[in-house]
Amino acid sequence: MTRIRIVIWIFGAVFLLLAFGLLNLEVIHSGRYRELGRRNCVRLLPENGCRGKIFDRNGFIIADSKLSYDLMILPQDSIEQDKIIIAASRILGKSEKDLRRTFKSNYISISVPVAIAKNIDIKDAIALDELKVDLPAITIQPNPLRHYPQKRLASHVLGYVNEIDHWRLTKLEDYGYNTKDIVGFGGVEEKYDYYLRQEEGGVSFEVDHRGKLVRTLGFRPPVNGKDIQLTLDIRIQKIVEESLGNKKGAVVIMDPYSGEIIAMASSPAFDPEVFAEKDNASINNLVSNPGSPLVNRAISSAYPAGSIFKVIVATAGLENKKIKGSTSFLCQGSVRVGGREFKCWNTHGLQDLAGALQHSCNVYFYKTGLLVGAQALHDYAQKFGLSRTTSLELPYEVPGFIPSPIWRKINRFKSWFDGDTANLSIGQGDVAVTPIQITRMMAVFANNGYLVYPCLTKSIDGRDMTRLRKKAEKLNLKQENINIIREGLRRVANEEGGTGSVFATLPVSVAGKTGTAQAPPKQPHAWFAGYFPYKNPKYVICVLLEHGGPGYYSCLVGKQIIEQMAKDGLI
Amino acid sequence: MRNTTLFILIIALVICVLGVLSIYSSTYQKEGRIWETIYQRQILWIILGLLLFTIISNISYRRFWDWTYLLYGLAVLFLALVFLLGVVRLGAQRWLKLGWFNFQPSEFAKLAITIFLARYFSGKSSDDFHLLSEKFGVFRGLIMPLFFIGIPLFLIIEQPDLGTGMILFIIFISMLYMTNVKLRYIVSFLVVIILPLPFMWHLLRDYQKERLMVFLNPNIDPLGAGYTVIQSKIAIGSGGFFGKGWLSGTQSQLHFLPESHTDFIFATFSEEWGFLGAVFVLFLYYLLIRQGLIIAQRTNDSFGKLLAFGISFMLFIQVAINVAMNMGLAPIVGIPLPLMSYGGSSVFVTFIALGILVNINKQRAVF
Repeated sequence: MTRIRIVIWIFGAVFLLLAFGLLNLEVIHSGRYRELGRRNCVRLLPENGCRGKIFDRNGFIIADSKLSYDLMILPQDSIEQDKIIIAASRILGKSEKDLRRTFKSNYISISVPVAIAKNIDIKDAIALDELKVDLPAITIQPNPLRHYPQKRLASHVLGYVNEIDHWRLTKLEDYGYNTKDIVGFGGVEEKYDYYLRQEEGGVSFEVDHRGKLVRTLGFRPPVNGKDIQLTLDIRIQKIVEESLGNKKGAVVIMDPYSGEIIAMASSPAFDPEVFAEKDNASINNLVSNPGSPLVNRAISSAYPAGSIFKVIVATAGLENKKIKGSTSFLCQGSVRVGGREFKCWNTHGLQDLAGALQHSCNVYFYKTGLLVGAQALHDYAQKFGLSRTTSLELPYEVPGFIPSPIWRKINRFKSWFDGDTANLSIGQGDVAVTPIQITRMMAVFANNGYLVYPCLTKSIDGRDMTRLRKKAEKLNLKQENINIIREGLRRVANEEGGTGSVFATLPVSVAGKTGTAQAPPKQPHAWFAGYFPYKNPKYVICVLLEHGGPGYYSCLVGKQIIEQMAKDGLI
Repeated sequence: MRNTTLFILIIALVICVLGVLSIYSSTYQKEGRIWETIYQRQILWIILGLLLFTIISNISYRRFWDWTYLLYGLAVLFLALVFLLGVVRLGAQRWLKLGWFNFQPSEFAKLAITIFLARYFSGKSSDDFHLLSEKFGVFRGLIMPLFFIGIPLFLIIEQPDLGTGMILFIIFISMLYMTNVKLRYIVSFLVVIILPLPFMWHLLRDYQKERLMVFLNPNIDPLGAGYTVIQSKIAIGSGGFFGKGWLSGTQSQLHFLPESHTDFIFATFSEEWGFLGAVFVLFLYYLLIRQGLIIAQRTNDSFGKLLAFGISFMLFIQVAINVAMNMGLAPIVGIPLPLMSYGGSSVFVTFIALGILVNINKQRAVF
């Protein structure tokens, strides 16, 4: 009987086929189905921790979290829902129709509370919470929201928080970041986001096919972010920001020995809270503002150095033994270099190095620069930390730029002329520096020859960061050379005819250098960099006013700051 | 041959036990008294089924030769009664309420028709090894039996229960094949049936059309008609190699899988026992059906041979279609998994069928 044999074979084949079907479902594609099954029945009711606080060096709070309240409804009972919506519309002053619409658009499933009003006033929240006795489906969900009690203060150092964007998400996905996460943008908020960010906790529970709760699977308490203490002193920061006012520019005040940033301001500033509160009109305003208030001008914008650069030219000349402190050049208002007339801003006559610094004489430094040579100038600028980032703990620092003959040859296919050296000697041409770099350079003279690494953090989560900082670098400058330059810097601020003589009237003795960096066709940038008190420097200061005119205007701002600090007993 | 009896009994019991475990698990978290007792009822059905098995296996299967027309008549009568006073459940009228027992006549009809066909195609005397059908022409070999099958088939399809109707039809075709009806008759008959099928589309009920469409692509309507297929595939697939463990299947416990204790018991089982368990069960069914075929091969009596084959085929086709539909490889039809699915009618009929099978094996030795 052959037909029964055929049937036996067919049966065997069908069973084999079924077994293969099982293999396909349960072994090969098992992971996918397991995930689908899990998604069927596990829900999470999130609860947020607070983002870490940020303190200043004295423990004043600069950034913390405040609670915002969301009104939520547990959609189990539709009659109760109606009652809640009617009550909520009365208390919140919103129309029932709107609330119903929000309810509908936010509805996920019967077990998940629906937010019908976000960010409600605390008084309303309390009023609604009282209704809970009769209407148990009301839930007032407290939501921590980033809060900056000092408002705009140090906004550039802090940055702001916002919903993660696509670019950051692709970068940070592997570190456990998700879409819709709130992350830091710019400043400390971004740099230390990993420490500051809270861990979401919540209740995970199992639901059945109708979305009804079956049992709670577990509760993970939310974890608050780690607190960070900065080196900023908000009292000084406040003075700095008030003095800077709405002038476009930046101010940095630093401890010359440790490199701790005491104050860092950039103007125009912004209110970081508008991002946390999702105030879209204000955000658009900030983003489209031609004054770029979101840019931290102290580190993220480079400007020509102007006469400030003469300090480096002088050091290079002394160290390379091309000039001595007593070397004098005659200034007749201009000098001819390579067939072109290079002007000084005045006619200074014969003067030595200290005098040349005091008067910021261009001719003296044209001549010195030509003696030293362009490459050596470039090397000294690098030695002082220019044209590279300072390793400050803030994102988006720019390195700036110092040109050199070799660079010119390679990148521009042009030769370097003496005229270029002359231009470099007064910090013009392609020179681009940031206020933080200039602060650091000036600190070398305040602390007698050490290049410090600027820093902003004192401690993270209670752990002292000072020991982890990079050690200041000794530049091996001759003390006598430093003294000559210090004398020049002192004269700038204290002697009659010094470009910074406005400081002379202060109770605190200041030393420093002004700069007027040409930026045609607009007004020049005004620089002042110095340290005070002169004898035992406590602070290095750098003021930059973007297109603020001659360096004199920066001196005025600097003076106002130091005056106020002295008045408040902060020096 | 005592060994064969024992073998069949043991396999059937193991399958039953696994079935009860799965029924218990699938109703474990359901509330209400009916659910709590449902596995106990299944145990009761199995015990009664065993009783029937013992009785039937001791009645000579030749007696069924005599009772054929009685059984056939009863089957048609029950099916007709379903029409008049059947219980409507799940949108279909398939059950007769007999006191506390909901009897499903279509289950009974499957067996009755198998017996009927076996008799129709074989000689009366047990000494007659030859099948009558070898001499049959088109009329006696095809049209007459089709007429007899047509009556219950029509009643079942009208319930509506396309699945059982289809199974009856496939049993019919397979019996034709086994009785050596000329192949060209069968083929031309099938062609005549299949060709107008596309035109029959609008004769199908809406839910049947939907099920066929959903079988082709379950994601057409993931929350409606496609829901069951998707959930069943998730249940089986999420079991993985070793399964989630007894009482730990989320798909069935949290009711994502509908009918998890009846038609989709295989998915429930696979979720908790994994690939290993599912393949084991398939293997048990294979052994059981193979045993039936071996009996059919050994039996010389043409009635016994056909009957043994018919019973094996009846089991096979139910297992194959049910498992395939659980895996989303066949459209969803209301066919239980013999011995595993909850349901008295199915358990009884299967045990009776196994009893007959065992008896055929015993009698063989007598002749």
